[in-house]
This record gives sequence, C-alpha cells and structure tokens, in this order.
Amino acid sequence: MRFVLRRLGFFVITLWAAITLNFLIPRLMPGNPAQAMMGQYRGRINPQAIHALEIAFGVNNHQSLLSSYFTYLGNVFRGRFGISLTFFPDQVTHEVLQALPWTLALVGVTTILAFALGTLIGLLAAWRRGGTLDSLMPPIFVITSSFPYFWLAMLAIWLFSIRFHWLPSSNGYSITDNVGWTWTFAYDAFKHALLPAMTILVTSIGAWILTMRNNTITVLTEDYVRMARAKGLRPWRIMWTYAGRNAILPNLTGFAMSLGFVVAGAILVEFVFNYPGVGWMFLHSVESEDYALMQGLFLLITVTVLTAILAADVATVILDPRTRDER
Amino acid sequence: MSAPSIGATDHLATPPVGPAPMVAEVRQGRWGDLWRAIRRNKKAVAGAVILLVFTVIAIFPGQIAPYDGQAMIFEPALPPSWHHLLGTTAQGQDIFSQLIWGTRLSLVIALAVGALATVLAVLVGVSAGYIGGGTDGFLSLVTDVILVLPIFPLIIVIAAYEKNAGLLTLVVVLGVLGWSYGARQLRSQTLSLRRRDFLESARVRGERKSYVILFEILPTMTSLILATFLGAAIYAVLTAAGLQFIGLGDPNSQSWGTMLYWAQNSEALFAGMAWWAIAPGLCIALLGASFALLNYAFDEISSPALRVRKLERSRFPRAEPPPPEPAGANDESVLKVQDLTVAYATDASPVVAVDHVSFDLARGEFLAIVGESGCGKSTLLYAIARLLGSPLPGEIVGGRVLFQGRDLVLLEAKELRRVRWRDISVVMQSAMNALNPVLTVADQMRDACEAHSDMSKREIEERSREVLRLVSIDPVHLHSYPHQLSGGMRQRAMIAMALLFTPDLVIMDEPTSALDVVAQRSLMVQIKELQERLGFAVIFVTHDMSLVSHFSDRLLVMYAGQVAELSETRDLFDRPLHPYSQGLLGAFPSIRGPKVQLLGIPGSPPDLARPPAGCRFAPRCPHADAGCVEAEVPLFGVNGSLVRCVKHETVA
Amino acid sequence: MTEELLRTEGLTRHFRVGKLTSRQTLHAVDDVDLTIGRAEIVALVGESGSGKSTIARMLARVYTPTSGDIWFEGKPLSRLRGRKGRLAYSADVPMVFQDPYSSINPAYRISHGILRGMKLHRGDLSQKQRGAELNRVLESVGLTPVADTQRRFPYELSGGQRQRVGFAQALALRPKLIVADEPVSMLDVSIRVGVLNLMGELREREGVSFLYITHDVASARYLADRVLVMYAGHLVEEGATEEVLQRPKHPYTQLLLAAVPDPRAELGLADARDVGEPPKVVDPKPGCRFRPRCPLAIAKCETVTPLLRELGDGRRVACHVAD
Repeated sequence: MRFVLRRLGFFVITLWAAITLNFLIPRLMPGNPAQAMMGQYRGRINPQAIHALEIAFGVNNHQSLLSSYFTYLGNVFRGRFGISLTFFPDQVTHEVLQALPWTLALVGVTTILAFALGTLIGLLAAWRRGGTLDSLMPPIFVITSSFPYFWLAMLAIWLFSIRFHWLPSSNGYSITDNVGWTWTFAYDAFKHALLPAMTILVTSIGAWILTMRNNTITVLTEDYVRMARAKGLRPWRIMWTYAGRNAILPNLTGFAMSLGFVVAGAILVEFVFNYPGVGWMFLHSVESEDYALMQGLFLLITVTVLTAILAADVATVILDPRTRDER
Repeated sequence: MSAPSIGATDHLATPPVGPAPMVAEVRQGRWGDLWRAIRRNKKAVAGAVILLVFTVIAIFPGQIAPYDGQAMIFEPALPPSWHHLLGTTAQGQDIFSQLIWGTRLSLVIALAVGALATVLAVLVGVSAGYIGGGTDGFLSLVTDVILVLPIFPLIIVIAAYEKNAGLLTLVVVLGVLGWSYGARQLRSQTLSLRRRDFLESARVRGERKSYVILFEILPTMTSLILATFLGAAIYAVLTAAGLQFIGLGDPNSQSWGTMLYWAQNSEALFAGMAWWAIAPGLCIALLGASFALLNYAFDEISSPALRVRKLERSRFPRAEPPPPEPAGANDESVLKVQDLTVAYATDASPVVAVDHVSFDLARGEFLAIVGESGCGKSTLLYAIARLLGSPLPGEIVGGRVLFQGRDLVLLEAKELRRVRWRDISVVMQSAMNALNPVLTVADQMRDACEAHSDMSKREIEERSREVLRLVSIDPVHLHSYPHQLSGGMRQRAMIAMALLFTPDLVIMDEPTSALDVVAQRSLMVQIKELQERLGFAVIFVTHDMSLVSHFSDRLLVMYAGQVAELSETRDLFDRPLHPYSQGLLGAFPSIRGPKVQLLGIPGSPPDLARPPAGCRFAPRCPHADAGCVEAEVPLFGVNGSLVRCVKHETVA
Repeated sequence: MTEELLRTEGLTRHFRVGKLTSRQTLHAVDDVDLTIGRAEIVALVGESGSGKSTIARMLARVYTPTSGDIWFEGKPLSRLRGRKGRLAYSADVPMVFQDPYSSINPAYRISHGILRGMKLHRGDLSQKQRGAELNRVLESVGLTPVADTQRRFPYELSGGQRQRVGFAQALALRPKLIVADEPVSMLDVSIRVGVLNLMGELREREGVSFLYITHDVASARYLADRVLVMYAGHLVEEGATEEVLQRPKHPYTQLLLAAVPDPRAELGLADARDVGEPPKVVDPKPGCRFRPRCPLAIAKCETVTPLLRELGDGRRVACHVAD
C-alpha cells in the first residue's frame, strides 16, 4: 500500500500549498483590499474574531509573518474560518456546509455519470473501429469539448427555458416551495438541476470519450488482446476484461488532471443558473468582497478535488496489480 | 476542454515491416511529408482554415467591421438586419462590429498564454525528465501540485484582491498556472527518450548536457510541443472568457468574454436579444474548436495506429479455387494451406505481404517457417490463425486454410471461436506482452477453459496445475501476476496455457527469441519432448535457422512474401536448393568446424509495394541472369522438395 | 597479444535498487580485470544481466566505476581532468550501439551526427576538410554513393545501413578503440556478416581495436582474437578465441557452448537439462555465483568466491575446480 501512502502524502502537501496560498495572496496584493473589508466588521463582532481575521488577512497585524502563519494554520485546522459578511452573522463553516450538498448532488453525480458513460462509449467506439460511432464521434466531440461551459448553459436556458418553457432557468428550487425532505421538493430540485446537469454532462463527456477511445485503440494493438482473441474468448469478455480494464488505467490518472476543468465549469454553470451550490456562493463572495467566505470555499473546493483524486488512486490500486508491488 | 494527446507520447522502437531500401525518388524530407499529411487530413484543414479566418480578422478589424464596436450610437436592442448583422446591444452598440473588434484580444490571449505556458512546460518538463534525481523529484512535485490545485478558483481569488486586472496580468497569471499538464507530458516523453540510444550516443560523443537538451531532445519532440501549445491555447481561450464573463476582466475591454458579461448583465436572453448572448460564445467555441481540431489531427498524423485505412478488395479478384478434396481422403494432413494471399493498405498502393503460399502439414509434424524481417512469415502465421488486424495489418484476400476439412478463412466468427484453443492454439513471442498484466496466470487459464468447456472450477484448477508441471513450473506460481515471474518462466507458462486442451496444432511465433541462449535451448528441447509426447503439430516461425535445425521435420524458407524453398530439414541443410537458402546458410558463423570467410547476402529485400518482375531474389542473387526476370517464377518440385528458382538444377 | 591499449583493474559497478527505506545493491560488475591491445579485437561474451553492457558503458564513461580503475594508454581515467581531457578520451574510445532504430537522431540527416563529432573533437579542420572526411568515412563503411547517403534521413535507411552509419560516426573521430555493444543482434542474419566483416576490415585498414560485446558466441568466434566470458557480473574465463571455444575450462562456458545450436553437429539432449537462469546479483554473499547450476560444484564453491587464475598462455579461469 505504499502507493496509497505516497498519494496521501501528496494530498497533504497540496492542501498545505492551498492553505499557504490563501494566507499569502492577500498579503501580496497591492492596495491592501482586505483593509476595506475589515472595516465592515468593526463593531459587529467580538475582538477575538477580529483578531483572527487580522491574522488571516495580514491587516493591522503586529505579529511576525511566521507566527501569524502558524496561528492561521491552527485556526484552519479547527475549522475557524471566521464569520461571513454576506450571511452575517453565520459562521463561514456553516454557510459552506449548506452549499456543499447542492454541489455534490449536481456536480458529483454528473461528473461520475460523464466519466462512466464517456468511458463506456469510448470503449465501444474503439472496439468497432471504423464503424459509424467511431467516425462520427471524434470530430463532433473534439468540437463540443471546446465549448465554453457557460455559453452552453446560456444556450440551454434559451432553448429549454425561454423558447420551450420546459425547465426552470435558475435557482435550485422554486422560491415558493418549502425546503425539506419531501417528494415535491425533491422533484422540484431535480427539475432545477436538470439543465445545469445536462450542460456539464454534454461538455465534459467529450474528453472522456476521446481519451478512452484513444487508450483503447492503443490497448487493442497489444499482444495480450490478440492472445485473448487467439484463445477464442467471447468478444464481450475481451472488450471488457482485456481491453477495457487496461485502457481505463490511464484514464483514471487523467481524471485528476481533468478535474480542474470540471471545477471551472461547475462554478460557471452554477453562476449562470443561480444554482445555490459552492461555486455560486464562491463567486458571490468575490463580488461582495466577503473574503473570509471566499477563502473557506477555496479550501473546500481544493479538499473536494483532492478527495476525488484519492478515490481514483484507490481505484487504480484495485484495478492494477502492478501498483501493489511497489517498484 | 481538449482531449489530452495520447499518441504523441512514444513511438515504438520496433523496426518497420521490411527495411526501407534506398529509393531512387527524391524525398522532400520530414517537412514535405508533414505538409502533405496535413493537407490530407480534413480535421487539420478545418482547424487551420478557422484559425486563419480569425487571424485575418484580428489583423484587419478596421477593414472588416462596419462600425466602431464601442460606439453607443444606435438604437438599443435591435434585431438582426442588413444594417446590423447581429442586431444591437442594450446599450446601442453594433454586435457584429463588437465581435470583429473583440477577435484581436481573444486571439492574442490564446497565443500569448500558449507560448508562455509552452516555454515553461518545456523548461520544467524536459529538465525534470533529463536531469532526473532530486531535481526531477522536486520539479515533479511542484508540477503535480499546480496541476491538482483548482486553477480557476485560484485565479478568481487572485483577481478578487486585484480587480480590473489588465491584459498583461491576465496573460502572466494564466501562463504561469497553465504549464503543468504540458510539463507532465513532456517529462514522460523525455524519460522514454532517455532510453533511446541516440541520446546516449550524443553524450558519449562528448556533447554538453545543454546541447543535448536543446538540439537532440527538443527537435524530436516537436509534435508534443505543438500539442502542448495548442492545449494551452484552448485553456487560455476558455479560462479568459470565463473570467471576463463573471466580470473579473476589464469590463471596458473589447473581447468576446466581456460581451457575454454585458449580455448576461442585461438579461439578454430574457429580453429577446438572444443573438447578443449566442454570437460571442459561438466565436469562442469556434476558436477553441480550431485549436482542438488541429491538436487532434496532429495526434492522428503522429501516431499511425490511430488512422484507419481501408483495403480495396476490388484489386484482388478472388479466383475460384479448385474444389476442396473430400475430407478423409487424406487423413494424414491436419492443415492444408492453399494459395494463401494476404494484403494490407498503405498510404500508397496496397502491399501483398503473403503471396500465394501453399503447404500441407501432417499430423504431429514440426514445420519451421524461416525468413528475415519483411518476408511475411509472421503475417502468414497470423493469417493461418485468423488473427490479423491491429497491430499486424492485413486481410486475407485469397486462398484457403483447410483445417480438419474446413476452410478457416470462410468460417463464421462463432464457429471459429469454437476451433480456437481446443484445436489450434497460439504461443507468441513475448510473454510479457502476451499475458494480460492485470490478471493472474490462473485467471488467464481459467478464461480459456471456461470459454471452451464445462469444466468445474476445481477441474480447471487441477488442469492448470497439470499443464504447469508439464513445463516444469512449480504450480505455486499459478496465482502470480505475469510481472512477478521471470522471463523464462513466463514463456513456459504461455506454452503451458497453449496445451490446456492438447490441441492438434500449436502455432508458435518466435517463442524463444526473448530468452538467452541456454534458456532457448532448454525450451526448444522441452517443446520437442512435449510434441512427441502429446502428438500435436507445430508451425514454428523464426528468423534463426540453426535454432530449429535439430527440431523441425521440414523447413519452409520465405522470401519477399513467397515460398522460396520447402524441404525436409536435413535436406535443406545438406543441400540447399534456392540461392537465398544457400546465402542464408552461408551467413551463420559456426562454432565448430573450420573458420571461413562468410559473405552474407548483399542488398536488401524488395519493396513489396512495388515487387520486381520475375524472381524477387534476382537483384541479390549471384547466379541471376536475364531469364530470371522474364516472368513470375513458379515452384518446382525436386525430390520431394519445392524450390522457386528457374536455375535450381544448376545452382545447387 | 599486442601492445597494451586499455586495461582495467578491479573494475566494479554497483547500483542502488529498491525503495528509499530498503537499500539494496545490485552488483552489476564485480572486480573485472581485462586488457585490450592495439589493433586487437576482443569479444566480451555473456548473456543479458551478465554485466557486459555495464562494462561497455564504463569504458565509454557513461557510468563511473564504483571502484577499480581504467587505464588508457598508461594513464588512469580517474585522473582525467577538464573537458579537454575527457573529450580526447571520447574521441579515442567511442561507442557503437545495439539498436539501429534508435541510435541515430531521427530529426536530422545522416551527415549531422558525423559532422558534430568532428566539430567537437577535430576542431582544427576547416569546413572543406570536414566535408572530405565525411565522404571518406562513409566510403570506409561501404555506404556509397556518399553524396546521396549523407543527405538522407535515418528512416530512409535499412537497419544494416544505419549500423554502418554508427561506425562512420565513430571513425570520424579517429578512434583507437571502438566499443561495439551488440552491434549486430538487431540486424537480419544475412546482414550481420557484412557488418562483422566491416569491423574486421576496419581493424586491418585503420588499426582500430574493437571490444565486441555479444551474446552470440559464434559471431565472437568469427571475429575476435580473444574471448572474455562474463557471468553474473564476474569475468569467468579468458583466452585466445579458438582455445576457449574448443577447450572451455569453466563449467559455464561449457554450458554456453553446448547450448549454441550448430546444425552440423548432433543434438546432445543431455546437456539441455538445465532450467536455471542467471541470478540477479543483489547483495550477494561470497561464493561462486554459478554454483546453483554447476554440475562440478564442491563445498568450497559455496563460500569462497573464485578469482581469476592464470593457466598460462593468456588463459585465465575463475573456478576452483577447472584445471
């Protein structure tokens, strides 16, 4: 399991980098923007909280950089990100955790769906080289995967919401509804999530299809696939166990790299649809200069991405015995 | 959101099919070939055209746009018309003009960020890959961390603290954060290049490290560097547009993203100004698509495996073969190959790799097929086993392969599957490649057993152990993965697997060439023993005649896709009939016996895309004369042997 | 043997393997003493993993020895200081590689590598002289017409032709000893002999010595004056070619020779019982490394590593039992 340990170590290092960036950036920016923000807190919260914010943003701080840094680290690990301006007087942590389920539901499900579907379609396309699926798809998906997420979102709104009135154009749920675990609410939320989900799905699936297709084509040239044919195995088994299982491995590694795009896309899509998830809240906090909330959300996004990558790494260990025998 | 380039990472170092002879025509070299390849590829043309259009617009916006994009002088919210091709904005600006004027910024961002990111990626990736050690460890860590950190949110955070960042800041930030993916790819390409001898050769020559990196490594990675550039350009276009869209760019700048920002702010979609929202996005999409198309096209061009070529079957009229003899008339033969012909498509004319090859194989006979690279022996072998297709190109375009009375060429897929492994099994050259790395040996044996029998799990396990013992492998290795076994063991495990059903015919493609001399010898002896014990016939392909000299019953010598000679092994070694066989035998220095000066065979085999008229060996034959090249040379029978030489009586 | 050109003493190379925590040492080459004379062709025979390629790379200064030293023309390599000294050695002892398909940079024409070599090592030549030399070396290796060849790209040449280019690149440096690492193993059989003959010719014409590294004993017999046999990092036998091949003393050499297929001889099945493989020499204990496979092993072989013994007439064997 050394492989997993190594990846965990990487997780920690990256997280540390994100936290440190959070700490350093406001201090490096000219014009000391955080100063203005601090003004908005005065008189509204207790001095300890003020002090914590001063440490986080490097304002009016008489402590040395290094000791500020360690205090900040301590605060982060205790989940104390401060108090949100936009949702005053709620804690940042509280707000963040409110938005998280919405994003997990939308982006999490869609990404997994896109990965699964995309990989499957890519595998099938490569399996039938030269077939209709294979000759049409690559050019189409090459083009669609270079569409900006937000533009596709706008198109979708225009088409399905304005033109055809099939689906709602914004928000996570109708304002008139009562929030709660009821079927009506769930159905309503689902309707609201459909357009954003489709947008993300359509744009991100292209990359999965193409990479899986290319991987599979390369794997199909391998001797062990020819050997499987020679053994007279059924095509389905060859495609699945021999080609598929080997072709997906580089895709899992590539998963990590493409998450960056998914995150970017998710933020923009939530923005366009006013969907109350992490991305929307993140942009909102930027707009209203609610830096405490912004920092908390940035770290949350980072942690989510790292967790997803770790999951992909675990999957690699399960699927590829070569990683188990550390070389 | 482009597809990461896969094919450009490594070119297999395997020799091409047939050595490239000195062609008389003048080749324009790599750039000429590249240009032609680009012209042929539709995606590349499409991408290039779009890019060209945008470039022209970016250079001459004043000449193309009817109005000044910023001027708010028109009536707001007009629908498209002749005066305003795309209507006007909520502020009364002409959308079409804005679009034209906005091209420049978008293109500049794409190219500038692309260039910056590529330079950084090359610096980091190649240095990490080449220098190795601690430097690599550190650089790789930095690369991976930046790769994983959510870039878009990070840029937003930076932009949050400094609003209205200028163009330069945007370019620098995007460039400095966007090189990591390219660096990773360049690093792995460099690592695989490091094993290439020409780099070592340069170092041994005394070149400095910096020279090697700049002039030996980089020129071979041009396609990957280009792919990195294109990928970075796409990333730049989309990310910049995204940032401008959410209002983090300069709202007064002229760019497509900013147009969308204003459109969104003015609720363009709801206010019936759909074009305002759609048009800029379309341009962004098109620009991104042009880069993506070019990227994809270069991928295809640089890795031939990704291209599909169709063979024109019409060029190979299928002559009516003579009716098959009724089964049972000749029980001695387990396999009869008749006039087998295999061809594959190339960028030029199709190549006939196997040309009307015929032979019979008796029950329990050991036939060795011998020849050099490009002679078609592997293609022949896999054609018989019906395993053509990637990576070995080719289709059977004529002839028959009669196995136990049935023509394998005509068999339906399902029927064919039933014959496989039970009656005909295959042993390949490299067990490391032929065994699935993610399955254990036991799994792979079980696969075959389940596909062809009703054996219970226990019976399968028992049988697997049995065949492993047959080849002197301790059955404890049954549950190992291929990479855990040594080379020799893997090879023997493959042979064991081939014997699971004690087939009538085992086809072997150079199964010993990856082993050292001592292991080769012992494996050959083992194969021969098994063959005699279990009674299966063997077709054994090899380039090394002496290897099979003590084991094969008959030897088939192939040259340029044709049978040159077919004799009993001893006869061929004692009295080779074909000048090629003679030449071959004369090319092996011997361990014992007198030391003589050897000559080998000068020249190279012919280019099978344009086979010479008459005898294919004539250009290299010491006995050739005018009579040899007049017409196609048939096979002559001589005392039970076959030889394709018009002068066989005089040359032997 | 002719005048000594190159000599190694106690040449050793170890590699660290394994992860950071468990440090293991791979003994690729241990304690090798060999000599190569002027205008002499010496064959270094062994199988993969025997250490022969590592020795080649130490001679070509790709690796530095873990211990031991190499003397070239009487001067030790460890004392080579400065770029000039190192360059001079690279010119005297160039290397030709095994894989013709990866030993020439595909991005440049054939002339490039040869001219670069001359630029680095024979800077005194004018451009015209370099051109003339280019033609000369291409001619020496039989790549005619020379004007045509030099303009071609590697992919336009066959494997045999590319190997000749490798020799041409070496020749352009006016070498004294060419280290040829399995130069013909990846070539077609009918082409191999031509390249072997070329090496013999170059020795005759230009007086160049060769260290010919191979796993093919028959070709060693064809070309070399002396043979050195390697097993698992050790030099186990040495002597004049005919002597070693007709009267092998070390059990491994005997096994090796018995395994070489010779169509004209009768097949001896008895000696093919051996199913062993050469060991991966990681953190070895003392004792003979061939012991597990040796039919003649005695108790001493288990604990004492045999050293090379002189048997007279330039013959040396590393075995307790051999006479």
